[in-house]
Amino acid sequence: MRTPDNDHENDKDPSCPAESLSGDSSRRAFLKNLSIGAAAAGAALMTGCVPGADAAANGEMRLRWQEFFKKNYRLMTQEEKDATVDRLERLAALNDDLDLQIGSEPPLPKVLYGYAFNITRCEGFMECVTACIKENNLDRKTHTQYIRIFEMEPGQLDPSTGDGKFFHEVPVDNKFYMGTQCFHCENAPCTKACPTKATWKEPDGIVVVDYDWCIGCRYCQAACPYFGRRFNWGKPEIPRDEITTKQHYLGNRLRPVGKMEKCTFCIQRTRKGRLPACVEACPTGSRVFGNLLDPDSEIRYVLKHKKVFRMKEELGTEPKFWYFID
Amino acid sequence: MKTMSYNTIAVLLVALMLAIAGQGSASDTTFLDTVKAATDKYDGRGVQQVQQVVQPTVLAKEEGQSGPFRVLARKQEIGRFVCSSCHDGKTVLAQNATNLTHGDVVVRHGQEGSGLACVDCHHPEDRDFLEDKKGNKIDYDHSYQLCGQCHFRQKRDWLGGAHGKRVEYWAGDRVVFNCTTCHNPHAPRFAKRFPATYSVPTN
Ligand code: SF4
Ligand code: SF4
Repeated sequence: MRTPDNDHENDKDPSCPAESLSGDSSRRAFLKNLSIGAAAAGAALMTGCVPGADAAANGEMRLRWQEFFKKNYRLMTQEEKDATVDRLERLAALNDDLDLQIGSEPPLPKVLYGYAFNITRCEGFMECVTACIKENNLDRKTHTQYIRIFEMEPGQLDPSTGDGKFFHEVPVDNKFYMGTQCFHCENAPCTKACPTKATWKEPDGIVVVDYDWCIGCRYCQAACPYFGRRFNWGKPEIPRDEITTKQHYLGNRLRPVGKMEKCTFCIQRTRKGRLPACVEACPTGSRVFGNLLDPDSEIRYVLKHKKVFRMKEELGTEPKFWYFID
Repeated sequence: MKTMSYNTIAVLLVALMLAIAGQGSASDTTFLDTVKAATDKYDGRGVQQVQQVVQPTVLAKEEGQSGPFRVLARKQEIGRFVCSSCHDGKTVLAQNATNLTHGDVVVRHGQEGSGLACVDCHHPEDRDFLEDKKGNKIDYDHSYQLCGQCHFRQKRDWLGGAHGKRVEYWAGDRVVFNCTTCHNPHAPRFAKRFPATYSVPTN
């Protein structure tokens, strides 16, 4: 097994001459190259040297090879996780000249995340939505959003009866606002629908996707009763200076095309003790986030002292996202 | 003979249904039971990356549900504080006051028609302080003590964590926004405005 340090040494090996690879780093492009130069690539893996291969391209080829044949994240040891995020950082530097810090922080012990949304306080400003887009490197071209805010008629509690496309001065008198996103169901139907086990629930309750194992079949999207999942139809387009460079493997890292993505409770932040981007951005304090296993947490206060309800409770999905009223 | 077997089948079916139903209710424990059973204080020391909040804070003079907590300080946000640099005993002409510092103050606080006057909250003599209805001097950094005398429900929720918000971290020492961090005390309702973005139908 090659260590990242070894790779560096081999990158500089002058005895490995040039071979050019396409700059396109998608899996498909990789496979196409592979079919042309399978023998050479095989040799590269065995010897670390392709006859006629340029040193840098050779190193990149090996990184991509190792990335292609890596395990499902859930089955990796911490060393393997460190190795893959290291490769991803180096590929981003090589291909896109990006300086990323991709993390693989494990779940924190004795933590189960929960979220509550105050429907009396939300005024429809949608600061949460813009913060989420920025934090999670969402595609600007297709205008992908994990959060949706619905303008609701009084007395209605089902967002499908509301207006999810409003754009006028808010709040409108006699309306109220209700946000949805992935609810991180304890009993998540989406994870059961996945044929490649590319999506699962972490011990801290966050439902995650291994983007590299997702085959984009969208079964999970069909299984989600809450419209929590998004499919990315194109390679995310983000202005360079707006890319959030502090990332997590299971969170806001730049997704390849054709993958399923969704709210991760900002795993890259929350596993470091920070609040999710939407909670931090909300100007009205409608969003409460915290550790359900901590009796002193704000979320526990809300569950204990406020009138709370969850959406489609009768389905037994057990969302960890509650609505409450003042 | 035939009816017998039908009866047996019916009985068996009912028994089976009962068994299934019984099982359903037996396994009715959910993660919420685990949550409710979690009564040990959470030791957040495992969350190493939590850093100190950089904004100035003060220790709240009341306890939240989790004990002592900190709140964002206010005074450094007030232009021309301390007030006694002008209000030093000599007469200040109302006109000068408007020109100098209070011109932007529009009071939109309290019931329509009977809005609040300055001295309903500000200390009539010592301008460096607020004053509650019982005549207690209240420090600007602890304005929640003043706001809470009317907005006691909000204050209760704020102490517990259902109103207002924490600063930056869910873990570590509790630091929360002050009332006046979010609300302009002279016009506490948020102004109407356009949303920060819009939504298109998702895939
Ligand atoms: S809200 Fe949807 S995507 Fe999120 S965990 Fe539940 S079923 Fe899965
Ligand atoms: S928790 Fe993070 S990913 Fe989820 S909706 Fe909020 S900002 Fe977006």
